[in-house]
Amino acid sequence: MDFVLEVENLSKCFEIPHLRINTLRSAFVNIFRKRTFERFKALNDVSFDVRKGEFFSIIGKNGSGKSTLLKIIAGIYTPDKGSVRVHSSLSPMLELGIGFNPELSGRDNIFMNGMILGLSKKQIYAKFNEIVAFAGLERFIDQKLKNYSSGMTARLAFSVMIHSGKEFLLVDEVLAVGDLEFQAKCMDYFEKAIKEGKTIVFVSHGLEIVKKYSSRVMLLHKGEVLDIGTPDKVIDTYFKKCN
Amino acid sequence: MDVKLRFQGSILGYLWSVLSPLLLFGVLYFVFSNFFKLNQQHYSIQLIVAIMMFGFFSEGTSAGMMSIFARSNLITKINIPRWTLIISSTLNSAIIYLFNVIVIVVFFVINKFLPSWQSILIFLLFSLLLYVFILAFSFFAAPLFVRFRDLSMIWVVLIQILFYATPVVYPLSLVPVSTQKILLFTPLAFMIHFTKTALVDKHYPESGQLCGFVAAALIVLCLSFLVYRRLNKRLIELL
Repeated sequence: MDFVLEVENLSKCFEIPHLRINTLRSAFVNIFRKRTFERFKALNDVSFDVRKGEFFSIIGKNGSGKSTLLKIIAGIYTPDKGSVRVHSSLSPMLELGIGFNPELSGRDNIFMNGMILGLSKKQIYAKFNEIVAFAGLERFIDQKLKNYSSGMTARLAFSVMIHSGKEFLLVDEVLAVGDLEFQAKCMDYFEKAIKEGKTIVFVSHGLEIVKKYSSRVMLLHKGEVLDIGTPDKVIDTYFKKCN
Repeated sequence: MDVKLRFQGSILGYLWSVLSPLLLFGVLYFVFSNFFKLNQQHYSIQLIVAIMMFGFFSEGTSAGMMSIFARSNLITKINIPRWTLIISSTLNSAIIYLFNVIVIVVFFVINKFLPSWQSILIFLLFSLLLYVFILAFSFFAAPLFVRFRDLSMIWVVLIQILFYATPVVYPLSLVPVSTQKILLFTPLAFMIHFTKTALVDKHYPESGQLCGFVAAALIVLCLSFLVYRRLNKRLIELL
């Protein structure tokens, strides 16, 4: 079996100081005060793996560590313990439209966003028409982004993301912004992508979507893995244990 | 991954960044040549070059210091190497400096001033070294600024002090010899002083002095990069 993602014994602990010092002035004023902080275990000994071509969903209540986990996989946070191995080209989509600038036209923003996602200018030129067509924004592409509706912005961002040609998508709750039609379009795309052999790790509170599309689901609770398995079984546990 | 962040500055912004040192030059030139009777040879030429160099340093360091924090919404969402942010925002200041150099050239032409080729070389070398020092400062200050948010205010004050502590408006020969020696140990004063003397008096720094200075600049850059590597580790959690 070829794994796309292997996570082993991952732990992450945040130190939350009781008194946050973020100026030099307060650092001097409080120079003799003892530093006290609370430890918050965001993730505790999490292990799992994802195979190629899977639609892997992560569910859990607010504060269960889902986003922290995704940020560690994306390489934004460094883990305290354990390891994360990614064996594929990763598209970390923790939010849509990173680097979008409202003062620039849609065209320029496609280039900005595409470059941040690691595409070269040439690659973006080659895919430009496709991106615009998928977003359905041919008429508005030279307008400034600030004149777009939020749905249009989301469509543009999503379109750039899926054309970035990455094999492994991390998707964190991005569907919440769009309308039903947009959500359906996204899910269609995800289905197609899975058939093409791409891999998706998906975080959502929308249990119905999770149930319908996932091949496996993982349940996180207070930073620990409660259950991994088929969607029906895990969602069952979710209702039993977490409510 | 080749991440390029483009900064879209408006034309007006660039224009302003060229105009503001010119304005400063006008005021200082008026005050110091009329009231203080600093009748140096080619005082206006010395002053404008010094102001531009100092402006590059102050712009570059403050932009570099803010670079990571200013892009916090980006780097909490995606993993891009943080040093690219530092490089790109300091490069932006370097571009502004290039525009300012054009202004200097125009100024030379108007004044029919022809610098020797050695002094041009020295000016270019020191401009490059200025950038090295800006980078060194930024690698160290950008992560630190995330921790201590009042650093920018402190730096503004320090820059003000530095402006009068370096021989920008006055020639180095005006201060006592003992102070001169101390001043020449600060890189900024060293560079600005020798650029001025090279341009006007054709008095060049010795090659040994220069080599030592270049070596020192590179060592400082390496050190600050090491500090950056240390500070960088848990930086994101503080944003």
